[in-house]
Amino acid sequence: MTGARHRVVVTGLGVVTSIGTGVDAFAAGLRAGRSGAKPITAFDTTGFAYSNACEITDFDPEAWITEQSPDDLGRAAQFAVAASRMAVADAGLTEEQVRGVRSLVSVGTTDGESRDLDHLTGLQVTSGDDVLDAVVARRVWPGRLSAGIVRELGLEDVETVTVPTACAAGNYAVGYGYDAISSGDVEMALCGGADALCRKTFTGFYRLGTIAPDVCRPFDADRQGILTGEGAGILLMESLESALARGARIYAEVLGYGLSCDASHPVAPDRDSIARCITAAHRNAGIEAADVDFISAHGTGTKANDVTEVGAIRQVFGDELPRTVSIKSMIGHTMGAASALASAACALALRDGFIPPTVNHRTTDPECAVDCVPNEAVAADLKVVQNNGLAFGGNNAVLVLGRWDTAPVPTVA
Amino acid sequence: MTTQIPALDETEQGQIKDIVCDILELELDEVTDTSLFKEEHDADSLRTIEILASLERTFGITLKQSELSRMVNLAGVYAVVAEAKAQ
Repeated sequence: MTGARHRVVVTGLGVVTSIGTGVDAFAAGLRAGRSGAKPITAFDTTGFAYSNACEITDFDPEAWITEQSPDDLGRAAQFAVAASRMAVADAGLTEEQVRGVRSLVSVGTTDGESRDLDHLTGLQVTSGDDVLDAVVARRVWPGRLSAGIVRELGLEDVETVTVPTACAAGNYAVGYGYDAISSGDVEMALCGGADALCRKTFTGFYRLGTIAPDVCRPFDADRQGILTGEGAGILLMESLESALARGARIYAEVLGYGLSCDASHPVAPDRDSIARCITAAHRNAGIEAADVDFISAHGTGTKANDVTEVGAIRQVFGDELPRTVSIKSMIGHTMGAASALASAACALALRDGFIPPTVNHRTTDPECAVDCVPNEAVAADLKVVQNNGLAFGGNNAVLVLGRWDTAPVPTVA
Repeated sequence: MTTQIPALDETEQGQIKDIVCDILELELDEVTDTSLFKEEHDADSLRTIEILASLERTFGITLKQSELSRMVNLAGVYAVVAEAKAQ
């Protein structure tokens, strides 16, 4: 089958983020180094010494969800459905065209609809079991993140997957789409990730001592942790033949991806495992480390992540590190959406020739010394970019994207 | 200048020991004041954070994460809690 594999390209992007909804607003936000950080309004933060997050305060589900009641979907699924609609339109496709081909919908997530679980648990504690809302209880099932998209677009010849591999889930979902298209199983795929701000996750990270009091400063000597975030990123992917046949605009080619799962510790990242994942991605993409023009890091801004991740990058790249940035400095840690939104950022960077900045940066930590493109985006002629997604439990996924017109032909791993 | 920190009474020490044994899933007689949580009782960093959180709730105190490095055994926890209560 090795000769029959298809090249896979990204032709549509849909994004919902705290620095902008829709691809143009997101791209402008990335270029400008905008920050989504603000005090949390999603839930009561009484008792926490500090409580900033990158919350989305202007999302209107009814603008995007028309074929089902928005109330039948939790906030994460609403983001995912909205982003999918945007991705289809951005690709210059009608929904009928997507319905007409065999497709895949894969959505990664960390928390599913935990925000609804927060709500139901709160009701249960204050008022008992009798007052629980059946509509809310029904929409908690994380399968609705992908099923909601399928229902909204009326897809029938479709595989529907929700990928629960936490903070690397977006890359897992995109990687799965790459496999499905390159092998010829499907013609198009809507892949990415979604998560909504929730009290459970904020509290958990706060308790681990990993929430920053003010802003997220990846690779900075004074970094104090993450800000939780929310949103969705969905990539419309198709085979190169399909894109060329319909004269589609191509953002980027998906060259390949790598996975590693070490399960060595619940929360501590493992350097060797991350290095293994990066190497697997390069091999799958048919590139050498020296081909990578910049790395979109997982870059959470915690003490442990940034040192371990840069150590792993150094292990693979040696002393010549490409520029290594973290868009979490702008949009926070959007959990299951994080690597999907970062993939979208990489695709935009390739198309438009710029590297998004790492904002809030003051002094680079010598323990994780990288050129993180501090505070201001730079113009760059890019051919190959690498997007890291690392998750609790040692679930890692690294994606490699290339500018399609100059990208090397992918080899089969 | 040194400040005298009042020692915990037996009831408080007992409460702490109950919390630690509950979270580390140990019998009360398996733990001594100096037996090490990590090396001798298989505690990991998440369990020790759970202990910290439970102590904060039980005693109405706030403990800095940096105190975790001293909370390696019961004696260490007694000292950290006594200091926090004195503040």
